[in-house]
Amino acid sequence: MSDGDYDYLIKFLALGDSGVGKTSVLYQYTDGKFNSKFITTVGIDFREKRVVYRASGPDGAVGRGQRIHLQLWDTAGQERFRSLTTAFFRDAMGFLLLFDLTNEQSFLNVRNWISQLQMHAYCDSPDIVLCGNKSDLEDQRVVKEEEARALAEKYGVPYFETSAANGTNISPAIEALLDLIMKRMERCVDKSWIPEGVVRSNGHTAADQHGEERKGGCSC
Amino acid sequence: MGDKPIWEQIGSSFIQHYYQLFDNDRTQLGAIYIDASCLTWEGQQFQGKAAIVEKLSSLPFQKIQHSITAQDHQPTPDSCIISMVVGQLKADEDPIMGFHQMFLLKNINDAWVCTNDMFRLALHNFG
Repeated sequence: MSDGDYDYLIKFLALGDSGVGKTSVLYQYTDGKFNSKFITTVGIDFREKRVVYRASGPDGAVGRGQRIHLQLWDTAGQERFRSLTTAFFRDAMGFLLLFDLTNEQSFLNVRNWISQLQMHAYCDSPDIVLCGNKSDLEDQRVVKEEEARALAEKYGVPYFETSAANGTNISPAIEALLDLIMKRMERCVDKSWIPEGVVRSNGHTAADQHGEERKGGCSC
Repeated sequence: MGDKPIWEQIGSSFIQHYYQLFDNDRTQLGAIYIDASCLTWEGQQFQGKAAIVEKLSSLPFQKIQHSITAQDHQPTPDSCIISMVVGQLKADEDPIMGFHQMFLLKNINDAWVCTNDMFRLALHNFG
């Protein structure tokens, strides 16, 4: 349930070739709960999760937690038909880009996905985390960790080797993406460039002066 | 079968045959196209039996199931049949999606072939 009691609503989109495990990764992250909501007319499937984000300042001090309502968007598999419309990219704030460590082609296609994102996301340097999935299938691995790290480094994005089967590194990958986005927001004084409806700020900066009475059960 | 116009009968048996082949072994679909056939698949153009079959065979799913919601057929002035299909499909374990498909059928040497084929998923995420 998405009651309004949170500070930020953030939308992530899982991307990558079909069969790399996007749905399984999101499923694993949302504690294996089958709570997805499929919107047939647009071919978008999404799951939600609440997390608390604590920024660590430059002095190492941990700030007050911010309540994040994460929406994890997944495709309905339309990329199998080649019809992932670019509008799909526009509304997401962060991208979890996956490939399959046991499938070379899915790794080679990472650069195509990134150039698509650079073209169609809300800005030309969107926040991306690269995940080499199916790390549990070590005996079938065809993509070397060094290769993947080198590619991630070239694009300046974090890299994780994940396994939706046993849960390895899935939370760290998604948390790294959240961290990038929260840092981007902090850097950004004028938040008006953020796509409309993507981030809902309940006035957290202003809240420091007003206290918190205005949030939750607000009478206005 | 006297009530149904001939183009309805031909059109609907073609549709039944087409999706049966597609769902069971889509590499066999070459039988219904000719070298002048055109396919527009999600906006991508393919011409000729070989190119069309290659495209359809290489779609990245193992299993697919079509379910036809509605179909319409009309005769054209040059004795062809135009057919439109609205339906739903399920590829592997993905969620069910809607689709539209349109066919132009032509009788060549006493056999009906598909000269034009257009396919779109019924998705409206234009933002």
